[in-house]
Amino acid sequence: MYLQLNHFEMSLLFAFVSSVMLGLVTKRTDRERVRYGAYCFACFMAATFGIGWAMHFLHG
Amino acid sequence: MAARARIEVMAQAIPASEASPQPARSPYLIIFLAWLIPGAGHLLLARRGRGAIVLGTVLLTFVVGLLMHGPMFQPHGGDLLSTLIQYGGFVGDLCSGILYLLAVWLGYNAPDVAAFSPDYGQKFLVAAGLLNILAIVDAYEIATKQKD
Repeated sequence: MYLQLNHFEMSLLFAFVSSVMLGLVTKRTDRERVRYGAYCFACFMAATFGIGWAMHFLHG
Repeated sequence: MAARARIEVMAQAIPASEASPQPARSPYLIIFLAWLIPGAGHLLLARRGRGAIVLGTVLLTFVVGLLMHGPMFQPHGGDLLSTLIQYGGFVGDLCSGILYLLAVWLGYNAPDVAAFSPDYGQKFLVAAGLLNILAIVDAYEIATKQKD
């Protein structure tokens, strides 16, 4: 069995697992954990799209 | 009367971690179990939900890395940068605990080929170990009462 994902799917998956773990270990209440996990995921996605567009314009 | 009031004030000023220096379980045992089986440290500390999430997250990351045929890092040297990458990656792989040990024991040995999917797979395998380190530190802090 061989899993073939494209770059975006892999970055999405990585952002998801990292956000879950960061939310889990950093905050005290469940509500804070969910909010922080969602915030981390949004930051990962913003960085993915931001750097993606930056590379698009820099490469021409 | 004044001395008693002073003692009460001092008792309130002592943090909870100092007031009860003996943790419920040995932190070293927690660290070892949390490393060996991801999530086991939290389970031992009666944090079942968090333990299950840790296990699921680390397992998902590791299995995705295996399914992408990511090669494991090998501890061998070369120039300084290669040595740092290889040994650092090896430590990251090793931090997955029993997942890494089982994969090696069962003969998993993906070749290091120049393709983007195995390359990402290799990073997912290391990421699984690094996520487990976060969980180990969290379990340690709970065991030593630095965290709820």
